[in-house]
Formats: sequence, C-alpha cells, structure tokens
Amino acid sequence: MSGGLKERVAVVGGGSWGTTLAHLAAMAGDEEVVLWMRDAEAVREVNEARTNRRYLGDVTLAPTVRATTELGDAVPDARLVIVCVPSSAFREVAGQAGEFVTGDQVLLSATKGLEPRTFVRMSQVLAEETCARKVGAISGPNLAKELIAGQPGATVVASRYREAIVVGAQLLHSRVLRVYGNLDVKGVELAGALKNVIAIATGVAHGLGLGVNVRAMLITRGLAEVQRLGVRLGADALTFSGLAGIGDLLATASSELSRNFRVGLGLAQGRALEAVLDELGEVAEGVNTTRVALELARSVDVPLPIIEGVGRLLFQGATPGSVLDDLMTRAARYEIDFDYTAEVR
Amino acid sequence: MRAEDRERAVEDVVTRVMSRVLERGPQALEAAIADTLYHERQRVDRERRGKERDRRLALLDRRRGRLLAGSDEERRRLLREVAEAFAREVLGNFDPRVHAFATRAVPFGLAALLHASSPRQLLRRFPVLGLEDRLAVQGEVAHARALKDLGTIVCVPTHSSNLDSIVLGYGMHELGFPPLLYGAGLNLFENPLISYFMHNLGAYKVDRRKTAPLYRDVLKEYATVSLEYGYHNLFFPGGTRARSGAIEDRLKLGLLGTSLRAFANNLRHGRPRPRLFVVPVVLSYELVLEAETLVDDFLRETGKSRYIITDDEFASPRRILQFMKGILELDARIAFTFMPPLDPFGNRVDEAGVSLDGRGRPIDIDRYLRGPTGELVDDDERDHEYTRELGERLVDTFHRGNTLMPTHLVSFAFFEELRRRNPGLDLYRLLRTGGTQDTLSLGELSRVVAALRDRLVALEAEGRLRLDDRVRRERADDLVLMALRALGTYHTRPALARAGDRICSRDRNLLYFYRNRLLGYGLEAA
Repeated sequence: MSGGLKERVAVVGGGSWGTTLAHLAAMAGDEEVVLWMRDAEAVREVNEARTNRRYLGDVTLAPTVRATTELGDAVPDARLVIVCVPSSAFREVAGQAGEFVTGDQVLLSATKGLEPRTFVRMSQVLAEETCARKVGAISGPNLAKELIAGQPGATVVASRYREAIVVGAQLLHSRVLRVYGNLDVKGVELAGALKNVIAIATGVAHGLGLGVNVRAMLITRGLAEVQRLGVRLGADALTFSGLAGIGDLLATASSELSRNFRVGLGLAQGRALEAVLDELGEVAEGVNTTRVALELARSVDVPLPIIEGVGRLLFQGATPGSVLDDLMTRAARYEIDFDYTAEVR
Repeated sequence: MRAEDRERAVEDVVTRVMSRVLERGPQALEAAIADTLYHERQRVDRERRGKERDRRLALLDRRRGRLLAGSDEERRRLLREVAEAFAREVLGNFDPRVHAFATRAVPFGLAALLHASSPRQLLRRFPVLGLEDRLAVQGEVAHARALKDLGTIVCVPTHSSNLDSIVLGYGMHELGFPPLLYGAGLNLFENPLISYFMHNLGAYKVDRRKTAPLYRDVLKEYATVSLEYGYHNLFFPGGTRARSGAIEDRLKLGLLGTSLRAFANNLRHGRPRPRLFVVPVVLSYELVLEAETLVDDFLRETGKSRYIITDDEFASPRRILQFMKGILELDARIAFTFMPPLDPFGNRVDEAGVSLDGRGRPIDIDRYLRGPTGELVDDDERDHEYTRELGERLVDTFHRGNTLMPTHLVSFAFFEELRRRNPGLDLYRLLRTGGTQDTLSLGELSRVVAALRDRLVALEAEGRLRLDDRVRRERADDLVLMALRALGTYHTRPALARAGDRICSRDRNLLYFYRNRLLGYGLEAA
C-alpha cells in the first residue's frame, strides 16, 4: 500500500495573507502548520520571535506555526497545501512545489489573480504544474489584518471535488473563520480576481472626496460587470451574490486596509502608478488583473465600462475626472442584464 | 471474449449490477425491475407486429406479474434473470482463430464490397485492391504498441463513419495490436457482410433501442469486467458518428469511466498488471461515406436529430461501392493518427507505462484513489470528475490529431468567404439560399485558400492540428482542383463544382459538413 498523509496544513508563501492563513489553520487544529517562505531571515523571525513584522507588525503567531525555506519540508504528507504567492510567481512556485505533491493531497490557491495571456485561473495553474487533481481556491472577504487580530470572518473553499471542500473545512474552520463550500470554483476565482479592479475604482472615488452614492454605484455596477464576464466564461451567476462575490467586493472596495483600494486612493491624489506601488511595498493584484480582464473581455466580446476606465487610468495616463466623466455620460441602460447593450429609449 | 472467460464474465457482470441495485434497499430493487420492464415494453411495442413481438410481450407480462406478486426473494431472482439475459445478449463470441482469419480478409473484404459478393466467393477470388494504400498511419504508433504488454489498452477513436470500425479493426491488426473488444450498434450487424467481420473483429452487440438503465449498466459493467480480464477495448467516446462533421467536443463519460473503474478494481484485487492506457486515435477522411445523411440529420433541427440511423448510405452496397471507387480512383485518403497515450486520469504516459505530470515528472497514480491513511476509497462523484478531466484532455488531443485534407480546407475557405460576402445572413438562410453572392472565381478562391493555409501551417507548427502533406506542399489552386475533384466524384450533388470560370456549391449542407472539420481553432469569421 502506498501513501498516507497527516491531517495537517502546509502554506506556501509567507506574505500577509499566507502567514495569516497559517496562523488561522494553527488555531483551528492541534497539528503543526508548516509555512514555506523564501527568505531565511523571515523564517528565523517566525520560528524564534513568532512574528512576521514586514507584513503583520507585532502580531504574535500561534505556537504551532513552523516556518521553513524548504518546500520538501513543508509539502510532503500535508493533507492540505495552500499556495499563496503573487500571481506573477505562482506558476514557478507551484511547479517547484509539484516536486513533492502526491495525487491524494488537496491543493488550494489563496491568490486572487489571473495569468496574463493564457487567462488561466490559479487553481488551474496548480493542476497544470503538479500532479494534484483535487485543486481549488480559497476566497472571500478576508482582510488579513482583521482576521489575524482575532476578528471573526467567513471564507469560501471552492473546488469541483467535494473532498477538497470537506478537507478545507475540516482543517480551517474555527471560531474565527467560518468556512463555506462552493462547487463553482471558476466563479469563485473570477469574482476574487476581478473584484480587485473595482476596488481600485472605489479607491479613486474615495480619493476624489466623493461620497457613498458613488461608492455604492461603483460596487453594484462593478459587480454587474464582473458577473457578466464570469457568466460568459461559464461561472454560476449566484456565486457572485455570495461571500466570494459581493462579500469580498464590499470588504475590498470600502477598506483602506485593501491594497487595491489604496492604489486607487494614491492615483486620485495625482501620484504616478509606480510611486504608489513602491510605497505600498506589497503586490496589488488588481493592476495586473485589469490588463488581463480587458484582454479576456475583448476575446469574448463583453463590455466592461468601469474596468475599462480603470485601465485607461492605470496604463494610458487618463485623469480620474475624465474617466468618471466618461462613465457618467454613457447612454442610459437597463439595469438587469438580459441584454446589457440595450439602451433606455 | 474467449470461451473460457465467458461464463465468468456473465457471472461477474450480473453480480455487480445486482449488488449495486441491492445495496440501495428493497425499494430500489422493485424500482429497478419496474423501470426495466417499462422501458422494454415501450421498445417492444414499437416492433413490427408478429409472433416474435407477441412472445416478447407475453414474457414482459409474466415478469410484471412476478414483480407485483413476488417476495423480495422472487424479485431478486427476477432481477438476476433480466440482467443475465441482457449480459448474454451483449457478450460477443470471440474466437482468436476466426479473428486472425478475418483481419487477413479485410483488405479484400472491402474489395468484396465493391463487388457486393459473399465472403466465400471473395476468398476464392483474392482481389488485390486494398485498403492499405489509402490508409496513412501516423503519430505515436510505437508508443501505443509498447504499452500493450504493460497493461490493458483502451483505444478511443473519433467517429465519423460506420467504416471506422472496419478501418480500425484492420489497421490495428496490421500494426501488430492484439484484437480489440468493442461495442457496435446492432445496425452494423444487419449488413450480413459487415456483420461477419464485425463479429470476428471482437465486436459485441449494443442495442441502442434498449433504453433501460439496467441495460446500460450491464454494458458498462461488461466493458469494465473485460478490461479487468485484460482484454483491450475500443470505445467511440463521442457515442455516435459526428453528425456535423466536426471533431467531437463533447464526450460520453459513462463508457470512458470504465477504464478508471477497472483500474480501481485491479488495485483492490492486487492484480498483476493493473494499469490501463487510453490511446486516442483520430480518423480523418477526405470523403465521408455517410456525409449527406449525417449533415441533413444535424441540420434538421439541432437537438431533434435521430440517435440511430439505419437507412443511410452504409445500408446501401451501391453507395459503398461508389464510395470505394471514389476513394480508390482519387487517391483519396484516410489518415489514421495515433496520439500520445493517457492514463485513466488524463495524464500523459511514457513508453514504460509511467504516468507523468505537466512537467514530465513521474506520478504515483494509485494515490488518486487513496484516502489519507493510504486505503482505497470508493467515491463515484470524485471518479466522475476524474473522468470529466480525461474527457477534456481527449477533446484537446482529438483536435491536435485532426489531419486536414484539401476537401476540408477548401470547403472551409469557400464557406467562410460566403459568410463574409453575405453579412447579416443567418446560418440557415445562408445554407438555403447561398446569399446574393454565392459563387467565386478560381482565383478568388485560391487566394482565400492560400491565406487560410498559411494560418493552418502556423497552427500545425504549434502542434494544434495536423496537415495532410498535400495541403502543406501543393499550390493553392491545385488544392482547389483536388477538392473539386474529390467532392464532385462521390456525393450525389457536389459540395463544390465548376460553373464556367466560377466555382459554386451545389450542396451547401455538404459544404458545411466538410467545413466543420476546421471548427474549434478560432478560424471562422466572427
């Protein structure tokens, strides 16, 4: 008989969300949680001082979190492997982890992004770069800094394989984090990635000093765009009214803790994109996702006015005022998208 | 199946099918029998009136009586009786000696079709006309052959024509493969000559008029059992012949999933050669025997097409004769392409039978079926998902192995040019009327063909499809002439024909059929 796994979690990627997930998993069970980080200094800090100051300040991590720089130390025998590295490095790291992955393991992506050019979702990258089949995603309104401070929250574990959902719930569900399952992994991942673009837009509005009406408009119409594209690509429309859809969008698009929101805020203050990103010091996936979303929308012929506006702002030097103006002067349309091209006449 | 395995197979099939019903409780037992009798009654009701029909109806009535009055014990007996009758009907009568003989006879078997004579007469004559010159075998033949001794092969070809079975039976034998078991529709057995070859090429009978779920369970279980016994199998994963002429993009997962089930059973019983290898084969015909009937059926109304066609060109020896004449006189080709083998989970397999991940690293595939403590876990939902992924990879593989001939290329070019010149015309109107501009000059068509060929060459370089060497090599206007000749020779009305210095379509449905072979590559006009 081959095989055998431990009921433990490995987290690949020690940024703010990866470290938080490791901490939450440790709080949910008794087993050790192994956190893979690239940086040996950060590993030492986690193992000795129990902090990850670069991303999470003074927060003390659970004692059963153990960091390592070796994927071969983290990945083998873990029932659940969560990969949480920026989308630009995701394929590379997933491929390296694949060296140690076996077909009985569950792999979840905690990264919200899409691969440029191929439009591939992160859980698909996991399936392509490893032998794992029971792959999926974890996504939802999960601002790391709130959760690691012990505030309650909820998340979605999505996979076409029910076993992946069950394992995710068993190993992550706790008093702090409620886990919901969803079989529509495509919808969950698209919602999670695309909402970052809308968050940039609401950040801009906030930075311009605009009030809650504008924010509500951008959130609801932004969700309509995200859902329109998602459904066109085969996602379930209802997923977008769930935690990974509207839930995540509400959190991300109205919180200064959100990196993408902060990108918008910076742009509204008239600063250049590079300067804003430099100051952030973390990856804002929404910038890359805007580009991918626009390409993707073109390939399937779905109009995305808000996301297109963000694109002009980020990459074509348009001013926030002119983008907003363009959005407001479009023809009146029907709200419910049976035919989203139909104008009100 | 060999005689010594037959009884064991019947017993295994019946026991497994029964236990799956019985584990769901006494109500499921009653429902399974009632359901089967209902479906059978519907089927027999539609049969021609006569003694045989009366006899069957009486039998169904008696069974119904036993179901209603019977104890649990009696119902179990009844279920066994019904399942066993299905199983015995399905089981082929395979004899290796006859197989060897039949495969030798196939090349002139086709010639026999030309003369519409009996096999016995034919064998006395030994004509030399053969299939071998028309069959272009390509791709990973050696790879597939290397696997046949390391495990059990499941050959999964695309399906365009009833001739596929014969071409495959002959081709696989010529390439040194052992006989393949396969389920063939009853209508194939109705043609006495074909029936003779079918029987002896390892075919077992599938009666698609039998719609009872229990019958389908028996079929699937028979495929599973035969795979476990080590019989190489052949399934058409598309189910039926592709009506539209396109490469299959949706597969029937039920039969496909038997490879995974057989693998799991092999592991559970610790069998010595547990592996199964899925070998995709793409058959590309320059001309398709039944093209006219198939596309008419497709266009009749999508969704209302007939699942079983018995009155097509295949039923007419005269049409087969014309077709073979066409193929032989024209240098028309049938490409027989072996694609890289996969395991039941859709992973690539190397020549040593080892499954590989996306980066070419070996995989221990047993672990897909094991739980956290290393035990084998049954999970139908999980297995369905694995099989769905295998299906997705197969669809991709079929497209990559699709070999495009001049008929496909030129039909596509002409059809898309019609669409471009008649904007706003929907498909059905375009097919019916051809639009206001329905002819092209040879020069115009050649230019479109040349441009399309360039795009196809680029796609071939990316490994996304294959081109017949003539498509790669010949000048565009020669390709047009080749296609005109081929399309004008066999079919009742030519898909493309010359009218003075113009080229027009005399049968746009047929044009559409050949054009559809290029679907799935993003080549069509928006």
